[in-house]
Amino acid sequence: MQEHTVHTSGVRPQRPRRISVFDGQDLKKAMLAGAASLEEHRETINALNVFPVPDGDTGSNLYATVQAAFRDVINCEDTSAGVISARLAHGALLGARGNSGVIFSQILRGLAQGLDKKQTFSALDLALALDEAQRMAYRAVIRPVEGTILTVVRETAEAAMASAKRGDDLVLMMQASIIAARQSVAHTPDLLPTLKQAGVVDAGGQGFCTILEGVWHYVRGESGQVTTVSSLGGSTKPAPDSAIKKGRVKIEEEFGYEVVFLLRGENLDVEGIRQNIIDMGGVSTVVAGDEKLLKVHTHTEWPGKILDYGVGIGSLLDINIENLQEQSLTYAAESEAEHLAGPIQSQTQQIATVAVVAGPGFERVFRSIGVTTIVPGGQTMNPSTEELLAAVNAVDARQVILLPNNSNVILSARQVSGLSHKDIFVVPTESMPQGIAALLAFNFEADFESNCESMTEATTHIQTAEITTAIRTVNIGGVRVREGDFIGLVNGDLVIAGQDIDYVIRETLQRMNIERYEIVTLYFGEGVTKQQAENTARSIKEKYSHLEIEVVDGGQPHYAYILSAE
Amino acid sequence: MTIRLVTDSTADIPPDQAQADNITVVPLTVFFGDEAYLDGVDLDNASFYKKLQASKDLPRTSQPSPAAFQEAFKNLIDEGADAIISVHLSSKLSGTYQSACTARDTLPDTVKKIPIEIIDSKNISIAMSRSILRAAQEVKEGHGLTEVKAHILDELSRTRILAVLDTLEYVKRGGRIGGASAFLGNMLSIKPIISLKDGEVVPIERPRTRNRAYARVAELLSEMGPVEHVSVAESSEGFAEQLAQYVKTVYTGDLSFYKLGAVLGTHTGPGTAAIAAVIARQD
Repeated sequence: MQEHTVHTSGVRPQRPRRISVFDGQDLKKAMLAGAASLEEHRETINALNVFPVPDGDTGSNLYATVQAAFRDVINCEDTSAGVISARLAHGALLGARGNSGVIFSQILRGLAQGLDKKQTFSALDLALALDEAQRMAYRAVIRPVEGTILTVVRETAEAAMASAKRGDDLVLMMQASIIAARQSVAHTPDLLPTLKQAGVVDAGGQGFCTILEGVWHYVRGESGQVTTVSSLGGSTKPAPDSAIKKGRVKIEEEFGYEVVFLLRGENLDVEGIRQNIIDMGGVSTVVAGDEKLLKVHTHTEWPGKILDYGVGIGSLLDINIENLQEQSLTYAAESEAEHLAGPIQSQTQQIATVAVVAGPGFERVFRSIGVTTIVPGGQTMNPSTEELLAAVNAVDARQVILLPNNSNVILSARQVSGLSHKDIFVVPTESMPQGIAALLAFNFEADFESNCESMTEATTHIQTAEITTAIRTVNIGGVRVREGDFIGLVNGDLVIAGQDIDYVIRETLQRMNIERYEIVTLYFGEGVTKQQAENTARSIKEKYSHLEIEVVDGGQPHYAYILSAE
Repeated sequence: MTIRLVTDSTADIPPDQAQADNITVVPLTVFFGDEAYLDGVDLDNASFYKKLQASKDLPRTSQPSPAAFQEAFKNLIDEGADAIISVHLSSKLSGTYQSACTARDTLPDTVKKIPIEIIDSKNISIAMSRSILRAAQEVKEGHGLTEVKAHILDELSRTRILAVLDTLEYVKRGGRIGGASAFLGNMLSIKPIISLKDGEVVPIERPRTRNRAYARVAELLSEMGPVEHVSVAESSEGFAEQLAQYVKTVYTGDLSFYKLGAVLGTHTGPGTAAIAAVIARQD
């Protein structure tokens, strides 16, 4: 990096800066600044979610994803931008939570592709990489919607490109980008009517912009020396009970392959060989022995290169190559598997089912109907791609059906098949009752394809309603909601708000045309007693006598009642 | 050549039909507490389900003894039979088949002068009966032993049963739950669909309501391809008619209706309805 004065702390006075290139360490520090900015505004971003439901947490999801991105980067001193951006993307890919997290991980992936093999990058390089990033982001979503993070990253990339083409340096380009990002975010309510009605800008878009603000501060030389990514305040996941078991394994720094072999030859130069291997990128290289026989041990991303070299100077024996990533992922997966509550039921067929579930009662129900493994959804139903991957890898079967049970988990779930060698199918379940319906449709006599089809089909026969308390005053779809009101949602749409929960329940049932259905299953959440639930069931039965009503203890957080009608 | 046909009471062939077709039915026994009833003789469908509701004892069943089979075989030989074909419910569900084999194998040579073919249908009830009724026709028309036996085996191999139960409790208590044990422990109410595969109970699906279950049975039926015949059977509540309505949406051929006997009732419980489909031959 040229023409950049090294600062140590505090806010610098404004003076014109020109930066023509950044390297990997600059990229790392810029991203750290972005992460710090996001952490500072995380709650504000969470509060932007249109739906006034207690588990809308775009800010936290984005932050968790960013934190995961730094896993292999925080201690990395590599100066190559290509290496740093690739590691950021890889960490984010695994740690992505929620839709916004997954999209952001794709943005980082596009960035990494654009910066591939580059030691340093210029404004133009970055603009091209941002263009790649916005394209990856759009591709990640089945039905891209304008007025979301997609629009913001696209418009930012467009401004960056225009700036770079004008010959601007990195500072000017970042300035143009941040202005475009802010404008794009402010414009999102004009593109998405629900945002306008709710009186908010898009949370995901704002999240991206907030990260960019941090980067902008770094580029301007304003940020303090950020060296760490602080841990989450515990609002996204319940703390793992790692004390007794294997201990939660952090996947850190294990990259590439471990290559070990014996080299037999004549006049072997131990020192020279060691240096050559280091020059080829071998890390933690050990070469020991004498001029006739020595042992080589190194970590490298290109085992072939090292072996080719060895073959060129002698003959190789006892060659051993281990995939370090798989090792640490497997270990982490094993420890994850132990942390996943309850025993994994053994199944006689080759197909396993993995479901995301929140609530001890719901977990019992899913187990009772034979799910293979549960991934705990936590307080906010947003497990990371990695947690889903660990569960998938831990089960015995080679074919796995994934039930995300929340629309915010579907994208993360879809990432898993690209990361696992198993056959994976995601049934796009948006609620736990849909997941239950899908699981009940599992046909023991049928093959994988038929089951994927019938499980998906089964979700269309079930209606889900949710009753919870509004965390914000807002206007949605013509319904005026006051903070503290009870609200009823039908298949994800907010249909009614009110101060009396029985009234809200009745109205919700009415709006789902409950007369058309035969059986209602009422899952009551934590904070509701069995007695209360049974009273509610009774009053429903009084009004709709044809219905069969089942009261089940779901124990779910936040939602007083989740109910299914079929 | 006079071929005589034998089966057991789990075939659920109505007594007058069995008589008209010259089929000998060897009954299993149903116990309510200490009281023993011969299935289809002392206890028909209606009286069984009434008793099931009234009794505090849950019923048990037991296979016919070898002696009962020997008596049946001997009578037929005395009546001039040149050959006997005896078709029975799956040997994995009952010792009846074994009992018949033992009976044949221990008949004194002076008695056993004719071939006695005993067939493990690997099926039960309406999935077994049609092949026997067809065999009865062929016997009347004078077909030979080899041919009749081959046709029975062929049709049995193409017959599939699908049953919708109110609960798996009876199957579980009867001990013949097989693979359907995977459906147990369910915390939600379901109307399980089960079938037989290789003579054993297998779980099919778990719909939540009766209507959904019957709709699924119809869908599964339509996936079997061209079907020669469908039989429908019920325990007692008239669900056969309801199930038939769904079946008729995918199948327009002949439908026969039957009642599930006491042995079936013991092992499946009230509220059961089932179909047996004979899949057309792939020639």
